Amino acid sequence: MINFQLNNSPVEVDLDPDTPLLWVVRDHFKLKGSKFGCGMGLCGACTMHVNGEAVRTCILPVSAVQGAVITSIEGLGQADNLHPLQQAWVEQSVAQCGYCQSGQLMSASALLSKNPNPSNADIEAAMNGNICRCGTYSKIKSAIKSAAQAMRAPVSMVETFDPANVEVKQ
Amino acid sequence: MNKTSLTRRRFLLSTGAIATGLIVGCSTATAKTKGYTAIAGAFEPNSFIQITADNQVIFYLPSSEMGQGILDGLTTLIAEELRVDPTIIDVRHASLHEDYKNPEMGMQGTGGSNATRAQFLPIRQAAADTAAAIRNAAARQLNQPVDKLLLANGHVTVDGQRYGFGDFVALASTMPIPENSPLRSPEQFDQIGRERPRLDTLAKSTGTAIFGIDAEVENLYRAVVVRSPVLGAALQSFDASVALKQSGVVDVVELRNGVAVVAQSYWQARKAAAAVELVWDTPELALWSSDSIYKGFTETLNDQSQKGLECCEEGEGDKLLDQAQHVVEADYYAPYLAHATMEPLNCTVAVEGDSCAVYLGTQSVQASAGAAVYYGDFDADKVKVHPAFLGGGFGRRGLGDDVAEAVVIAKKTGRNIQVVWSREDDMSNDFYRPAALVRMQAGVSEQGVIETWAVRRVGPNVMDHVLDQWVDVLAPDYLNKGFVDWLSKLGRPLFKRFIADPSSADGIYADYDAPNKAVRHVTQDPGLRTGFWRSVGHSSNAFFKESFIDELAQRAGIDELQFRLANMQNNPRLTKATEMVAAKAGWGKPLPEGHFHGLASHSSFGSAVAQIAEVSVEGAKIVVHKVTAAIDCGMVVNPGIVRDQVEGGIMYGLTAALFGEITLVDGVVQQSNFHNYPILRMADAPEVDVYIVDSQEHPEGVGEPGLPPLAPAVANAVFKASGQRLRNLPLRLS
Repeated sequence: MINFQLNNSPVEVDLDPDTPLLWVVRDHFKLKGSKFGCGMGLCGACTMHVNGEAVRTCILPVSAVQGAVITSIEGLGQADNLHPLQQAWVEQSVAQCGYCQSGQLMSASALLSKNPNPSNADIEAAMNGNICRCGTYSKIKSAIKSAAQAMRAPVSMVETFDPANVEVKQ
Repeated sequence: MNKTSLTRRRFLLSTGAIATGLIVGCSTATAKTKGYTAIAGAFEPNSFIQITADNQVIFYLPSSEMGQGILDGLTTLIAEELRVDPTIIDVRHASLHEDYKNPEMGMQGTGGSNATRAQFLPIRQAAADTAAAIRNAAARQLNQPVDKLLLANGHVTVDGQRYGFGDFVALASTMPIPENSPLRSPEQFDQIGRERPRLDTLAKSTGTAIFGIDAEVENLYRAVVVRSPVLGAALQSFDASVALKQSGVVDVVELRNGVAVVAQSYWQARKAAAAVELVWDTPELALWSSDSIYKGFTETLNDQSQKGLECCEEGEGDKLLDQAQHVVEADYYAPYLAHATMEPLNCTVAVEGDSCAVYLGTQSVQASAGAAVYYGDFDADKVKVHPAFLGGGFGRRGLGDDVAEAVVIAKKTGRNIQVVWSREDDMSNDFYRPAALVRMQAGVSEQGVIETWAVRRVGPNVMDHVLDQWVDVLAPDYLNKGFVDWLSKLGRPLFKRFIADPSSADGIYADYDAPNKAVRHVTQDPGLRTGFWRSVGHSSNAFFKESFIDELAQRAGIDELQFRLANMQNNPRLTKATEMVAAKAGWGKPLPEGHFHGLASHSSFGSAVAQIAEVSVEGAKIVVHKVTAAIDCGMVVNPGIVRDQVEGGIMYGLTAALFGEITLVDGVVQQSNFHNYPILRMADAPEVDVYIVDSQEHPEGVGEPGLPPLAPAVANAVFKASGQRLRNLPLRLS
């Protein structure tokens, strides 16, 4: 029996332990947003977050995620509660065929969670494992930048908390 | 409208006729049935539109959405004429029905970049007639003169009162449907031509768009097929005893092209498939390797006794070639290519009694349904195809080979089956873009006028391989199967001896004015199956033609832009696109140190595209910094999608130009996955600027025309950067 968190819910599976996480999520839990593209970790269509890291799940045995926190595209955001990246994806019509885009979004969101203001080079480094056959790379890049900006904006409007300025009451 | 596209269109029509003879009798539908399931109380004027009493507008999309944006495009046309916001329309993929036939193809299919062009008027007419019917019903129901009623934003308005369309559907259903209602004029358009986010973008940004591989039905088993390493080999024997003992495996089934392992999960089936031992016979293809294919092409190219077939003969042909001031000759080569759609092929089949439901993304619902009939022995009226989004098409999906396996496995096991191809299965069982070797010859006058244009092309064709698939699955089911299979093989002698396959010569002679032209094609086919690959013959022919044009300009000592413009005076659309791209990219203006511009102009699928690539060379590495493109595709439905398609064509073309090559050793395809068939990645993707020529002409293709000029634009820049004229694809500096 293997236990892990999938999109904030505890789950438990009893499957061949070498089954890649991708197929467990797609065919056992019926969450079809993550895609199969290469089976070798070369294209990124299967990308999910494992403990916050973007991971190619087509080559990740389910036994390796015992106790891990897994987020798939379904956990990133939904139509009525879009992640800022998804919002930017929609506004800029990034997708063409759309098949790779779940993986692109998961790689991009892992990037932004660590680097709120990525440079072009940062974006290219983080996204180079994700292939798009329709050639949407320039829109992906531009959507990541606008989402990053949108995610930073509210923070800059909040007054910075500086403990040095706090009056300590006696 | 240029010559090439006309030829191709006519050809597809006639191929449709040869291939099928059919279409009548392809489904049991009569003119009175609709292509969709009726909804109680809804107004159902035609097979495209349903309007329910609660104001739901449903559009049945007759074309396949594979990324090219046709869902958005055709829905926009419906919205324009029906006077509704496109975002409120519930779009569903249409299943098989003769009303959904592609008017240019003669079958229900999506390809040849014609979905907007061919359906621009009929789809609008269907919506305009629907709008007129709603208006007539409203007039009668409200007892108002028709011309007092205004249709806008999904409402009927009269005297300041607004009514939903749904208020009138009951009455409209009892009244005659108007025909030939006037269409809105371009000055009235408020949807067509508007820049707006794509309609399918939300689903594709949330993981909720359903592709074929996402199909789920009750009690679904997964199958993996082990196929021959050499395509076309026949299975002699196999031993699945070890596989059958593996975890989750429930069945092993022999197919005509391999052995299927059926298990509870994909992973179980995949693992067990590796344990099946198979013995194959040796087909003719096993005699060929890439080296011997290239050598064979070269021998044929030089063997003038092999005349081949005439593709084009104008003026004096090549008779005056030697009399020109400059006589230029060069040989060019393009390799076989795989499609490598992001979604590997797959097909899901549910069988219940004598009925069969097929779930997949396909470029031809009709061919997919036909495959279930032909290979699965189901009655045509018992087959239902449930089309899904395609995770890329590019010409690969819709030949029926995916369905063929799944229906037989389902039938033999009595189980619901999903066949999932691995990336390796997909890459080694493709219908490849054919390789070609050409000898380009031209005579150019002292003033730089091309007088003679002569091409001798050697390689396989596409249509014979496609017909081998399509005749089987599209022929009327009352014909004897043996006869149909015999018929399906006739394409090979037909295109070798009698008719030049137009797709082999597409785009190699049409763009320039040369008064004397001679183009011949010699069919030489090792047997590796071929198919439609984004832009088909144009994909290699534009590289040959546009690289060679630069060679001619350079020999004549004339600027490559001026040389093109001077020699395409009968080609106003390509002239406009070429002038536009030159102005936008700053042709002739200084570039950063070490950067060079290369230009290429090419017409395909009715559209004219010119591109300028900005390239530098770093050692043996070709770096493409930027591509500027201009397209004249006639009237535009959604400019954002046109730009995306051109950019997508550039990226797909750049993958092919820099890396793309399928090679054979003893008939076995050597490429298997993205490590040895690399795809362009973000870090290597150039900046792209796309400009659209303003036009009120009928819309033309956009899905494919962006691709052909890319490789020659890059090669022409590489020549300037390195002095090396690269005449073989992929482009490799020595």
